[in-house]
Amino acid sequence: MARPVTRGPRPSLTIPGSVSGVDRRSILRGALGAGALLAASGSLAACSSDSTPATSGGGGGGKPGNVKFGINEAKGSGPAYDRLAAIAAAYTQKTGAQVAVNAVDHNTFQESITTYLQGSPDDVFTWFAGYRMAQFADAGQISDLSDIWPIDGMSDAFKKAATAEDGKQYFVPVSYYPWAVFYRKSVFEKNGWTEPKSQDDFMALLKDMQGKKITPFAFAAKDAWAPMGTFDILNMRLNGYDFHMELTKGKKKWDSPEVKRVFETWKTLLPYHQENSLGRTWQEAATSMAKGECGMYLLGSFVVDGVPKDAADDLDFFTFPALDASIGADALDAPIDGFCVAEGGADQEAGKAFAKWLGSAEAADAGNNASSVPFIAANSGASTAKYGPLQKKSVEVVQNAKSIAQFLDRDTNADLANTVITVALQNFIKKPDDIDGITASIQQQAASILG
Amino acid sequence: MSATATASGTTAAPAKAETAGQSGVLNRRRGRVATTVMFVLALIWLFPLLWALYNSFRSYDYTQTNGYLSVGGWTLDNYKEAWTRGSFGLHLKNSLLITVPAVALTLFLSSLVAFVLARFSYRFNLTLLGVFLAANLLPPQALLIPVFRMFREIPLPQFMSSSGSMLNSFWALILVNTAFQLGFCTFVLSNYMKTLPHEIYESAELDGASVWRQYWQLTMPLVRPALAALATLQVTWIYNEFFWATVLLSRGDKYPVTSALNNLRGQFFADTNLVAAGSIIVALPVLVVFFVLQKQFVSGLTLGSTKG
Repeated sequence: MARPVTRGPRPSLTIPGSVSGVDRRSILRGALGAGALLAASGSLAACSSDSTPATSGGGGGGKPGNVKFGINEAKGSGPAYDRLAAIAAAYTQKTGAQVAVNAVDHNTFQESITTYLQGSPDDVFTWFAGYRMAQFADAGQISDLSDIWPIDGMSDAFKKAATAEDGKQYFVPVSYYPWAVFYRKSVFEKNGWTEPKSQDDFMALLKDMQGKKITPFAFAAKDAWAPMGTFDILNMRLNGYDFHMELTKGKKKWDSPEVKRVFETWKTLLPYHQENSLGRTWQEAATSMAKGECGMYLLGSFVVDGVPKDAADDLDFFTFPALDASIGADALDAPIDGFCVAEGGADQEAGKAFAKWLGSAEAADAGNNASSVPFIAANSGASTAKYGPLQKKSVEVVQNAKSIAQFLDRDTNADLANTVITVALQNFIKKPDDIDGITASIQQQAASILG
Repeated sequence: MSATATASGTTAAPAKAETAGQSGVLNRRRGRVATTVMFVLALIWLFPLLWALYNSFRSYDYTQTNGYLSVGGWTLDNYKEAWTRGSFGLHLKNSLLITVPAVALTLFLSSLVAFVLARFSYRFNLTLLGVFLAANLLPPQALLIPVFRMFREIPLPQFMSSSGSMLNSFWALILVNTAFQLGFCTFVLSNYMKTLPHEIYESAELDGASVWRQYWQLTMPLVRPALAALATLQVTWIYNEFFWATVLLSRGDKYPVTSALNNLRGQFFADTNLVAAGSIIVALPVLVVFFVLQKQFVSGLTLGSTKG
């Protein structure tokens, strides 16, 4: 930048700037300058505007069979990413089609799914079964996959989870994780406790634990979704799976006597839970179970990530016992993860072909063989060789279960779950006596959200 | 942002006390009280940052078993792991590719507008400035859907955007950031330019300098302090921008570094010490820019805002 040349004082000209004309040439030069600046920024931006394919070759969508694959695990974030990347690579190896992987971290992917699907989605993307899938099917944003069903090795329970309101399938399951009551084997052995088989066993166990100054249940409600697990299991034990599904779809009322009974039962169980749960994350609750301060923890099987290695090897679990003999204990939460084909994707045919393969036992094995921590494959034909004892037991438990729910926030409208029910459950934990007020408030908002 | 706010608070404090002292409002004792109060406030501001810094050097296993009030478990692994797991190399580059053009473009365009607003007296000048400022008051969230839909409909050639539209391209982010920052920059720059003596322009006119030359060779060098101050601010703001990046981008490898911080959290499990280390890494470039240009920041801003 040149400094203005200063000259000797001159008599000032009294022509105001606004009157004197603007030189045409200088405007042109100015425009050139602006153009150069734009061009400079442009070349910078263009440097990395191509998506990185997971395998060699160009982005997906060009050649027939090539596919774009959006996954909800950030690149290099751990075993979950490794599995998905390996599955994509195995598809390339098998068919020669390129898979361009678009890796976004889990929470961002989930939170921006609406703009993702309306913008420029990948052909196939990772998603969840249940209402969360069905609402996009309803909106016409994901493709009908009924022609690739039935999938070899997928049970009817999985087909049901992949089916939307219109009776067609829009989803391909790949894995699941069960919610159950986890405990440390060594702690149970030391105190002579066994897994409770009946409600009486269960109550006796709770009392005995309290007598020995061990809090029976580790409990955390700072992650607002965590208490939903407790609500779900009590609801399914007291009212059954069908009631859970109707309730989450708005066909049953939240202020009904059935739901109130769930809260009443929970209220009697609250003294057996860790206190001050609203300020505790699930990781802290898992830690207190690992330390032996708490006897048990009702959580998803991801609880192993939250405890130190030695405690993780010591973990075992049982399903929540029956609370009502006529209902039994044959339902549980086991959220299913899998894949959908985006209606807005560039190549429907390639997407469907890829989705079909993703459901196969071969795909599940490819993922599990590449990762230090295997998932529990939805396909019954998948190898269980890499499973640890907890996963082998999970398979057994889920296969024995008559009905599988997806978890409260996956079975219902996301707005209802995340803004209404979470708050209501936290209010209940704060003031367990106000059951009427809490249920009435959920029902009122559920009616307006679910219509 | 909290870091910069603290820093400006502490650096501005002595300057304020000094000028106030000259006019005799604050004596020494009162000055000491003021300093103490400001010191305490600064500590309250800094505490969470220092706490994060402290825990970023400790292993998660140690803090998990011994609690966060313990001392020990020192490690540098959090930084190593955060760097590789968060792919910070790639995402810092993305942030650079967004921030630098956006800041340059904002400053260039707003200085053009500011020059016209300050030097010429057209009838609609004030209205124009008002419009620029009004746009500043609009919350960006309110424009989310229109901007998203608009960008989806604007086609770009393949070599500019692999998605074929403005979505998922850095162009979109550069434009959006420029648009939202223009108002503020124009306001500050035009106020600053109004403080330049009119005689300079008269003599330039006499020497036959064109309007362009008056802008580029006369005004621009003179407003350099203001430009430097604005550049500091804009780099901080655009670098820290999170909202538009998550809305307009859906490619994991294109996210700027603020959005990439989420890579350190899993679906359920979050290693808080690792996240702390990642946050420190993300905050560093802004702090460096701020401390390097600190002097301009304080002098430039006060100069621009008190006149006009």
